[in-house]
Amino acid sequence: VRVHPTDPMSLLGRALRAAEPTIAMPDRRARFLSLPEAVTEFVADGAELLLGGFAYSDPIGFCHELIRQGRRGLRVIKAAGGLAVDQLVAAGCIAELVTCHVWNSVGPRPPHAFRRALERPSGPPLRLEELSYGAFLMGLVAAAAGLPFMPSTPARGTGHWTHRDIWPDKFAEVVSPFDGRRVTVVAPIAPRLGILYVQRVDEFGNGQVDGPTADFRYAVAACEQVVLLAEQLVPTQVIRRTPELTVAPAAMVNAVVVAPWSAHPTDSYGYYRRDLDFHVWYEEMTRTAQGAERYLDDFVRATASSVEFVEKLDDNRIDRLRLRSERWW
Amino acid sequence: VVSERRALERMLALAARLVPSSGAIFAGFNWPILAVRVARLLHAAGVTVVYENGIVEDQLTKVLPTAPTDLAAADNSPALTGSLDALFLWLRSGRIDMTFIDAPIVDQMGNINSTALGSYGSPKVRLAGSGGGSELTATGRSVVLMCSGTTARSYPRRVDYITSPGYLAAAGDRARFGYPAGRGPVLVVTPLGLLGFDSESLVPRAVFADVTVSQLSGTFRWLDAVDYAVATIPEPSQAELDAVTSVLTEARARRYRLGT
Repeated sequence: VRVHPTDPMSLLGRALRAAEPTIAMPDRRARFLSLPEAVTEFVADGAELLLGGFAYSDPIGFCHELIRQGRRGLRVIKAAGGLAVDQLVAAGCIAELVTCHVWNSVGPRPPHAFRRALERPSGPPLRLEELSYGAFLMGLVAAAAGLPFMPSTPARGTGHWTHRDIWPDKFAEVVSPFDGRRVTVVAPIAPRLGILYVQRVDEFGNGQVDGPTADFRYAVAACEQVVLLAEQLVPTQVIRRTPELTVAPAAMVNAVVVAPWSAHPTDSYGYYRRDLDFHVWYEEMTRTAQGAERYLDDFVRATASSVEFVEKLDDNRIDRLRLRSERWW
Repeated sequence: VVSERRALERMLALAARLVPSSGAIFAGFNWPILAVRVARLLHAAGVTVVYENGIVEDQLTKVLPTAPTDLAAADNSPALTGSLDALFLWLRSGRIDMTFIDAPIVDQMGNINSTALGSYGSPKVRLAGSGGGSELTATGRSVVLMCSGTTARSYPRRVDYITSPGYLAAAGDRARFGYPAGRGPVLVVTPLGLLGFDSESLVPRAVFADVTVSQLSGTFRWLDAVDYAVATIPEPSQAELDAVTSVLTEARARRYRLGT
């Protein structure tokens, strides 16, 4: 299929000829990859990536594949760190972490690998950059909209303002040209790659999210490249029935991985509920470094997909957590 | 001295009394979620809660959410939006009447530390971090802090790390640094009673009948002499205790740890 150039001379040239009737629809189908292919192609050692989700819709399946392929030195950007980050830290994948918080939200319980890495570091240091979730969100908005910065929540006097490591320029202060007041501004957060979980995707790569959208729309638009992790592939007619739910229009999507149960143990709105038992069990399993290693070996590295992982936990877990039948629409 | 269990029950009943019976409030994780649920069983069935991920929850949900991110909170919701809506269009704009936030460690100026004990670079104890907690106290109206601690450990003169800003290092800091006027912490709910701000510094306002002056000065070490007009808080009624017990039972089933 011929792609029309859009430089002024080419446009002028086209203006001087009658448009030819199009013979064939160009192939706009998305690139569908397997999970291992997506990690191999998009994430090298030392890569920067944003992990989407907000302690629900976390792309856990993708994190598991990063662990299986033994990625090292990653810079991970994740608003709600949660078990996604804790597992990556346990496996030694992360060198730098930009986050708003890291915890096990059931309980709440401590994320042991993350705590160990900071309180009793034994390997290479885990470097950290923290900002509040509102500031993180505004940083994504700035990047998504191509703006030089965004006004944000006042941060002077807080630890987020004082402690800077990976991004010393994350915050600055400007004087409002309108009323002379001081305004905390946040720099654009423009990750090289974004991995986002969506409930549904069509053949073109339009990704839909049900339920609250947290920062998902801005995260999609802030990242240079986007890979969707989709619970389910549906006919495009399903997407077009409720197009307002599309947070990742196909034109913003570089590749799609269809990976059922890849948000487990976090919630997938309308598909499965939060796995509370897993959160409790994981906390117990990972209290020691040896326990965490055993968990990674016996469950993450011993399985090849999220479905295998969940089924390995126990036989009827999927039935207990599932909220709807496969074809919910 | 009351048992730890009784202390938690009193704290939840006390916080629940502060929940308005209508209008919109913001609730953070842990104690605030539980206090609002208690209040809904009592006088506040009509209150609307907004969470930072964009969930609007205008009724008692079938199941107690484990956190604001638990989509049990989205069950039968009238509006599921996003974080720009929740944190800026509603909270920052001042459309939310009150904010309730968990405060594991709180200092004399009402600053909350939920990040790290000891030095930030090599912490003795690493805590979760802020999430949207900074937004809640920096920009929320009538912010109520909930701290379950009953000893001086939970109430240092200065926190090691300011995660959610109270009145920062000195009176007037918030105004100087461009924090919106009329926002920020107004009360701290503890198992001992209620503290409020006097020149941006915390003082007891009302305590339970069995709480002694020496207990107060031993817990809140910055208090020279407790000669403030301190009111006495009536013990929780049977109806309040029933509501608290019911919510705590649900909380245990939902794997809450309920630690102090």
